[in-house]
Amino acid sequence: MAAVEPVGSPGGDCGSADVAALIPLVRRIVASRVPDPATADDLVQETLTRVLAAAGRVEPGMLEPYAIVTARNVVTSMWRDQDRQRRHQHRVVDLRPPEAPDEDVLAREDRAAVAEALTRLSDRERATLLAHEVSGQDTRSLAAELGSTAGAVAAQLNRTRARLRVEYLLVSERVEPPTERCRPVLLAISSGDRRRQREVDAARHLLECGLCARLSEPLVGRGRSRDDAVRVAVRTDADVVAARQAAREVATRLGFSTTDVTLIATAVSEITRNIVRFADSGEVVVTELQEPRRGISIVARDAGPGIPDVDQALQDGYSTYHGLGLGLPGARRLMDEFAVVSETGRGTTVTMTKWRGEG
Amino acid sequence: MNGGPRLFSILRQGPYLIASIHTALDDSQLVRFQQDLVERIGSDRARGVVIDVAALDVLDSFASRTLRDIGEMARLRGAVTVIVGIQPDVAFAMVELGMDTGRVVTALDLEEGLAELDSCLAAPPAPRT
Repeated sequence: MAAVEPVGSPGGDCGSADVAALIPLVRRIVASRVPDPATADDLVQETLTRVLAAAGRVEPGMLEPYAIVTARNVVTSMWRDQDRQRRHQHRVVDLRPPEAPDEDVLAREDRAAVAEALTRLSDRERATLLAHEVSGQDTRSLAAELGSTAGAVAAQLNRTRARLRVEYLLVSERVEPPTERCRPVLLAISSGDRRRQREVDAARHLLECGLCARLSEPLVGRGRSRDDAVRVAVRTDADVVAARQAAREVATRLGFSTTDVTLIATAVSEITRNIVRFADSGEVVVTELQEPRRGISIVARDAGPGIPDVDQALQDGYSTYHGLGLGLPGARRLMDEFAVVSETGRGTTVTMTKWRGEG
Repeated sequence: MNGGPRLFSILRQGPYLIASIHTALDDSQLVRFQQDLVERIGSDRARGVVIDVAALDVLDSFASRTLRDIGEMARLRGAVTVIVGIQPDVAFAMVELGMDTGRVVTALDLEEGLAELDSCLAAPPAPRT
């Protein structure tokens, strides 16, 4: 964050003082367009340099509008550069070994898959997408044609791309989704829309549907995952230890006392063991909570046989194997909030929360 | 089952065995620990066992039950078991969980544990635990 030092600027002292007065304005304009503070700072510096250089030529009263336009231009040209770099990146990294014999065939199949996937979009979606991606038409002129706004067109394009990814995967794997729920779930994952994923209960579906679990793998990496959630896949005994250590780490980071951390780890251990014992596989998701208070939320999910009588399973001493029968009731005592939802044949979800005590 | 660093060790100290757990164990590792230990009680003709659980991050229902079972099995094999090193937070969690831990002999640390064994074996008509 170096201060602007207009050394020997042609505008003279008077000009540089005017320019200095514009700094907050320029900062605001750039910051509203560029989220990354370091980049934004660079752009502010560049704008000010340009404005300083031109200060002598611009009429005094016009310096502010000039600075505004310059700031916008600087941001736009950065975007354009980034865009160009992205578009030409493949030329730079194209250092692949000589063509494999099947490469041509694979490429052709790939093209066919994309073409096929494109036909599955609606006409309007396809036309807009092609105009933007292939002809290079920008969202603003598209918006003018469609009688919409640039933002709405961009959002629409994002949804279309998400659909195209899903359709492409389905085509290239030559499969039709086995259930009606598959497509909405894949779509929600592809677009990285967490609210929608919750609405369609995507996590549960992925446990149930092997095809979607496999197809969603390349999609999952796309949506930016929230870094305040830790997900542990549970299959074996060792995962029980991994899950409780993940919970321990999150709880420690949240500032829980060591006693509370151990309580949480013990509860996680109990419910995760139930997954291994009864359902073969499932997952544990540990999430940080900030509202209404700081706390930790743990969701343990499986697609196992389910619990026929949840109330009974929550009784002390009820055990279907040779355990102490403390799993669920014990975990409930250790946490502040505890809920079990189970459906026979579909699986069980245990949700539990512990809030941070005061102080 | 797995290579890598040892997860627990069972050492002989006179007529006693000292079993230390080095890291958080999962369920199958705990079961293996139990089997190894009960076997060693026979092969070493041990009269007493101290189990050091200071390295266990949690003692959940399965771990507690395994320790209780070890105590019971050792008793049937003619040895007294003392568990040492339960961390304060772990103890708190065990009570909150509702564990019934009454029958297991415990001591604060290894030294206390060995002293406990000495006194148990010095007084032969000890109450059957």
